[in-house]
Amino acid sequence: MGTETAVTFDANVFSLETVKRALYRCSDQSQFDITSEGGAITVTFSAIDPDGLADKIRNEVLDQDLRDTLSKETANVRTLILANAFSDTGLIR
Amino acid sequence: MPVLGKKFRPPEAFDQAINGYYQLLPSRFVRLDGKRYLLSNDVGEFLVVGRGQLADYIQKKVPKGSDFYHDLKSKCFLVDGDSNVALDLLALKYRTKARRISQFTALHIFVVSLRCDYTCRYCQVSRQTDDKHAFDMSEATADKALGLVFKSPSPTIKIEFQGGEPLLNFSLIRYIVANATAENIRHKKNLQFVITTNLSLLTDEMLSFCSSHGIFLSTSLDGPEQLHNANRPRPGMDGHKLTVEGIKKAQTALGRDKIGALMTTTEKSLPAARAIIDAYLENGLDSIFLRPLSPYGFAVKTRQAYKYDVDRWFEFYKEGLDYILEINRQGHRFVELYTELVVNKLLSPFSTGYVDLQSPSGAGISAIVYNYDGDVYASDEARMLAEMGDKAFRLGNVHDDGYEDIMLSDTLLDMLESTLSESIPMCTDCGFLPYCGTDPVYHHATQGDMVGNKALSGFCGKNMKIFRHVVLLLEDDPEARETLLGWVRP
Repeated sequence: MGTETAVTFDANVFSLETVKRALYRCSDQSQFDITSEGGAITVTFSAIDPDGLADKIRNEVLDQDLRDTLSKETANVRTLILANAFSDTGLIR
Repeated sequence: MPVLGKKFRPPEAFDQAINGYYQLLPSRFVRLDGKRYLLSNDVGEFLVVGRGQLADYIQKKVPKGSDFYHDLKSKCFLVDGDSNVALDLLALKYRTKARRISQFTALHIFVVSLRCDYTCRYCQVSRQTDDKHAFDMSEATADKALGLVFKSPSPTIKIEFQGGEPLLNFSLIRYIVANATAENIRHKKNLQFVITTNLSLLTDEMLSFCSSHGIFLSTSLDGPEQLHNANRPRPGMDGHKLTVEGIKKAQTALGRDKIGALMTTTEKSLPAARAIIDAYLENGLDSIFLRPLSPYGFAVKTRQAYKYDVDRWFEFYKEGLDYILEINRQGHRFVELYTELVVNKLLSPFSTGYVDLQSPSGAGISAIVYNYDGDVYASDEARMLAEMGDKAFRLGNVHDDGYEDIMLSDTLLDMLESTLSESIPMCTDCGFLPYCGTDPVYHHATQGDMVGNKALSGFCGKNMKIFRHVVLLLEDDPEARETLLGWVRP
């Protein structure tokens, strides 16, 4: 089933949630073990092309980090827009 | 820049001051290739951006006077102190897109007979031989189903007759058309009829009836004679001849716009994309739907659905679409229908009503199926699954259940709740979300639950590939873009 490989992320830079979301997107390529210890999040997996998958995970984590920023920052305004879309109450006027 | 002591600051000073102070509006993104991303918002406006631009946007580093800033602002990806009209615009566009949900259900499928004169190995409905009248819908069942049809709030009602081969029970089609037309005098809906037929039993009398009632015909043409007959065997192996003759007869009697054809891709079709499209052109058809096999019915029993994967089908689709774009460049309008749907999703503010590309799923609320025995299913795929013995998506029976029982059944409501893409892992932050949807029956059939893991989903894999391909065609190929823009409906 390929070589076992570990990829580590600094927990001060990336949240555990971000790493988990990124790994979900790669779940067609392997199964992942995740540990969080001493300020480091470590992902361990086996793959036929471990370097290729490690690169993909790092890129996905970067993308997911941006997604998390976007999502958190716009959550309230999304609710406001939807409320306005489905009501006549003039919530944002 | 020294500003103290000056009465007025130059305009750039205000631009600088506002950098970092624009507010992000809700959006999502998805990687298109090694360098570019599609950035989209809830109402389907999109921009194709580089990684650096994406990061600058989210980190609020886009200079105010830049073209990119203006693009982001005009497409409602940000709002600044100058104007907050984007919030009202987004709400208005969202309401327009969601309008279809209050106007359910437009497509009503009547399975008037499960009997069929063909023995297709890939048939997605378990057919019965043509001497078993027990598999015909009765007038009593049709009456009950029609009673439900006209309770739908949709201003447009399309009744589609399916099988098996529906022409084997043509007397019931006549009966339903007459009664629906009479009933509609009171309801004043935009009422349309479609018969999905292999055309082999089509007579002049049937055509005359179709002509006088404006009935549209939809048939199956899988390509040139050898391929069609291999995919769709009929005793006597004359299926292709009868289909082609039927298409010509229907075009003459009803008009070319009243007959369309669909194809299904088998392993034998994969190397023959151009020949299949040529067969459509030779028969005077203006469009084709390059469809993969669905994992239901006989396609599963005979293992046809597993003989090729998404990647192989996508290569077939891409080759076919390239050829179709070439045909259009030569001045002949010919449309690939799934691409047309996707382009309309990308570029039009209006919903397409296509069951699989909606959130929540269009099952039950865009289309509903009345089976020959009165059972009601949320989609055509749901009844295909039922014919395999899995009735997970059965909503009720026309003889036992009223309209409210069916439309408020736990089965339908649970399915709608589960198919809101906005809350599905991976879909929730995917840039293709405004254009895509989810197919609960597909995921139930392949992964055992309605939502499924999208990283493992053939439905997601297929649609991601198609969306990426179409967006990059729009971006990179001016000639293809011109053709594709011509497919957007006004």
